[in-house]
Amino acid sequence: MHTLGQLARTWALAVAALLVGLGAAPAQDKGPIRIGFLPPITGPLASPGAEMVNGFRMFWEQNNMSAGGRKIEIVTGDTTCNPDQALTQARRLVLQEKVHFMVGPLCGHEGPAVSQVSKETGVPLVMDAAGADNVTKWERVPTVVRTAVSSSQIGHPFGEYLYKELGLRNVTFIGQDYTFGHEVTLGAIETFKALGGKVARLIWNPIGTKDYGTTIATIPADTDGVAVTIVGADRIRLFEDWFNFGMDKKHKIYGTYWLQEDMLPQVDDRAVGLIANSLHYASGIDTPENKAFVDAYAAKHKRIPSWFAESAYTAGLWVKTAIDSINGNVEDRDAFLKAMRTVQIKAPRGPLKLDAYDNPIQNVYVAKVEKTKHPALGDVLITRPVKTYEAVSQFWTWKPEEFLAKGPYKR
Amino acid sequence: MLAPPGASFALFLRSFMSGVILQAINGISLAALLFLLASGFTLTFGLMRVVNMAYGAYYLLGGYIGYSVARRTGSFELAILCGGLTIVVLGFFVDRFLIRPIGHNHLAQVLLTVGVAFVIGEVCLAIWGGDNLRVAIPPWLRGGMELPGGLFYPKYRLALIVLGTSTAILLWLLYHKTHIGAVVRAGVDDREMVNATGINVDRLFALVSALASFLAGLAGVVGGAFLTLNPGAEWDILVLALVVVIVGGLGSLEGAILGSIIVGLLDAYGRWLLPEFSYFVLFGPMAVLLLFRATGIFGKEQ
Amino acid sequence: MTARVLLLVAALAIAAALPSLVGEFWVTLLTQIMIFGLLALSADLLLGHAGLFSLCHAAFFAVAAYTTAILQVRHGVSTALAAPAGILAGTILSFVFAFAVRTRGVYFILITLAFGYIIWGVAYRWASFTGGDNGVTNVPFPAIGGLRVAGPTQYYYVVLVAVVLIALAYRVLITSPFGLTLRGIKSSESRMRSLGYDVGSHLYVAFVLSGLIASIAGVLYVYYNRFINPVAASFPVSLEAVLMAIVGGTGTILGPFLGSGIILVLRNWVSGFFHYYTAVLGIVFIVTVLFAPQGIMGLVARWRAGNRGEGA
Repeated sequence: MHTLGQLARTWALAVAALLVGLGAAPAQDKGPIRIGFLPPITGPLASPGAEMVNGFRMFWEQNNMSAGGRKIEIVTGDTTCNPDQALTQARRLVLQEKVHFMVGPLCGHEGPAVSQVSKETGVPLVMDAAGADNVTKWERVPTVVRTAVSSSQIGHPFGEYLYKELGLRNVTFIGQDYTFGHEVTLGAIETFKALGGKVARLIWNPIGTKDYGTTIATIPADTDGVAVTIVGADRIRLFEDWFNFGMDKKHKIYGTYWLQEDMLPQVDDRAVGLIANSLHYASGIDTPENKAFVDAYAAKHKRIPSWFAESAYTAGLWVKTAIDSINGNVEDRDAFLKAMRTVQIKAPRGPLKLDAYDNPIQNVYVAKVEKTKHPALGDVLITRPVKTYEAVSQFWTWKPEEFLAKGPYKR
Repeated sequence: MLAPPGASFALFLRSFMSGVILQAINGISLAALLFLLASGFTLTFGLMRVVNMAYGAYYLLGGYIGYSVARRTGSFELAILCGGLTIVVLGFFVDRFLIRPIGHNHLAQVLLTVGVAFVIGEVCLAIWGGDNLRVAIPPWLRGGMELPGGLFYPKYRLALIVLGTSTAILLWLLYHKTHIGAVVRAGVDDREMVNATGINVDRLFALVSALASFLAGLAGVVGGAFLTLNPGAEWDILVLALVVVIVGGLGSLEGAILGSIIVGLLDAYGRWLLPEFSYFVLFGPMAVLLLFRATGIFGKEQ
Repeated sequence: MTARVLLLVAALAIAAALPSLVGEFWVTLLTQIMIFGLLALSADLLLGHAGLFSLCHAAFFAVAAYTTAILQVRHGVSTALAAPAGILAGTILSFVFAFAVRTRGVYFILITLAFGYIIWGVAYRWASFTGGDNGVTNVPFPAIGGLRVAGPTQYYYVVLVAVVLIALAYRVLITSPFGLTLRGIKSSESRMRSLGYDVGSHLYVAFVLSGLIASIAGVLYVYYNRFINPVAASFPVSLEAVLMAIVGGTGTILGPFLGSGIILVLRNWVSGFFHYYTAVLGIVFIVTVLFAPQGIMGLVARWRAGNRGEGA
């Protein structure tokens, strides 16, 4: 039975030890670099959010949590894929946690919200994942740079792919009815029509469409191919309904954005051979950088990474390269942004650098689903590039001024 | 290639008609799923005057459990059983220790059960993560089958219609043709009288509640096979079930049947003909109906 | 009575001094708490005083916010016109939705749920007008005549003043004969009817007034966030407004603000170190219902009654 006195003494000793311990920590010159990280940890996009977190952490762990001679501290704010939450969390990270710069967010419609915080406070934002075209075209903020992709950037090459590689002339387009879906689909349609292709039908589906039987039933009989841009749970639903309604016997289907690695474990071998995506990343990219990345990720997280993971990993790589080049002096925001805009990196997905409008120029890969044997995971489905469009800019083959004059892709 | 106008119109009419039939089947299959969830909700309200907003979460949890069981054992039937029974147990605890203490205060019930739903949702997120998971359909129900008229339709959804219909018939028979059903009906009409006749009303409630919970868990497994399970799914389905119950009338089994059919068909036809206005197509008629008949089609005046 | 006034004055003084005491993040969070507290107050006019549980207040909030945002951003209309226009738009909507008062109890809940969803659906789908899921961005800080709000701290004061004024007006309303009639209706509608009161009209007016307050909250919100998006019209926002009132204490003026504080601090601060803070929120609700059904204010009242030796 402890007396009060004994308890008090134990506590005092413990506190003293703690204080001594803290005092004994080596003094740092400038302290750690604090990165404000904004993934959706809970909410409807918790799964891509988890990949984003995993990818980012994996990079820093591989690099000893340091850059430019300083330690890296990651402070996370859960955006729940909600712009208001994203805004408040961004403000918390900037004002309360005093981060040096922010990385994220993931969801497209959170992009403008977090950009706004960057604009108000001058704290740089490295936009990883969120793809809204606006951010690097019409509504640019000087303190925001994007390291992932601009939505229509992946749509443009696919229109050409449909016409030239697949020889299609009368395509039905199915797109998810929100900004990302619009920009990808309309981007593909733009280049497809420019080559002379005809749109058999354009069908928009709200996010969370429960069954694709309806949509499938409206596909014109005389179409020679169906191109789909689908996100979230709808990807699996369309996949199931396509086969269950016997559509696979009638038409061919191609994913502009459809089958990514995060949901491949949920579909079966009927997916093998399907064109999965036209995207800036595919797990089957055959380079040493990507192999190393995929293997490390698979070993740690027991799954094949999707572009969300790679995007965050590469954001880490990009940021570290920039920080190293300015000797860790992230307090000089202009220098940091300039470094981000000038460094060129070799990411798992290929060579990257920013264009004059702060969006990466990068390869776009049209990829097919393939079944392969992974040393750590056994039989898995991955996406393997079948055609690579190199150094694609967000403006495709247009001049920036021309493209901007056309205005955003709107439904 | 020109075709005479009559031919293209006939073609259009043919495809339109097959569209109408296809949507009708889609709507009825959704109605079947909604009925499984809504019937429990409406009966617990009718008998026990309990508004339980955690039904969506019951659906989700039951579904996730069914998913895991199906993955481990490969048995869809076992998945349904486990999913349903888990919710029976959970529902029992929630009823006994959380809902019962607060009596008939609808406001408090809503707040409490929303809280329960939040907790269940987060637990599911912690255990199963954020991926869209699909319960594996048993092999004999995979793929489609040819219906008369040349329509190719997924077997699973047809099976769902069969399940929903048989459940509806079973419940109806139980409710209207058995002794227990008569007691329950009496309880819905007048609890005090039933109590006064010496029948153990509490035990009755527990039974009805257990059945409702089982149906919710079952609905989760069955729905999880074609709608997929993910964070937020519990609210999507709950909203639809609520509409069913409002339109059909709280406390009425016939209302749940009719309401499910109406909502299922509205959803299917709405998405087909007016996809931009899908929510309006669903909620508009409901709002209008309520303004004219505040208790729904079969509801009773309070 | 004087003790109460002194307490209020002291509270106001603290509120006015806060920006210089706490960091900018807390200033913005407090502003947010006040705005959502106002929304909760508007829902509580119906819940705590008329006994009607409304789930559509986010609709008025959002319609007001969108109107003001679109006028300022796309048509360059000044704050002096855009703000009142927003308030008017939201209030007009509440005139239409007020038909819901023809129903009671759980049916009222469900019909307002439906209304709320309809507006959310419009905000989301009518993308050419509302901007769809991207919403409307870059709303400027308010500026009337030569006066311009320069930053979050100044805006905090704007919101503080607005909230205090509305709270005072609210107090006058609920202690007036109209307010007392509402409470009468809440406790026994049949009695009020037999006494000759026009229950329908009273509830209708109450609904419109609560829509007015929600609209004001919406306009305050759009200048706080400087960005509006369909999420503002969604069901969780309406639900939370009511839950804030319940947790803080329905039927009081301070209650909705306390509830707003608890929920927003939980979400924005706890989320920083605990991922599953929604579960914490759920537990707060459960605990509130089981142990403090009158909310925080109810606990305070019981404690004071206990101290004074009065019966609870």
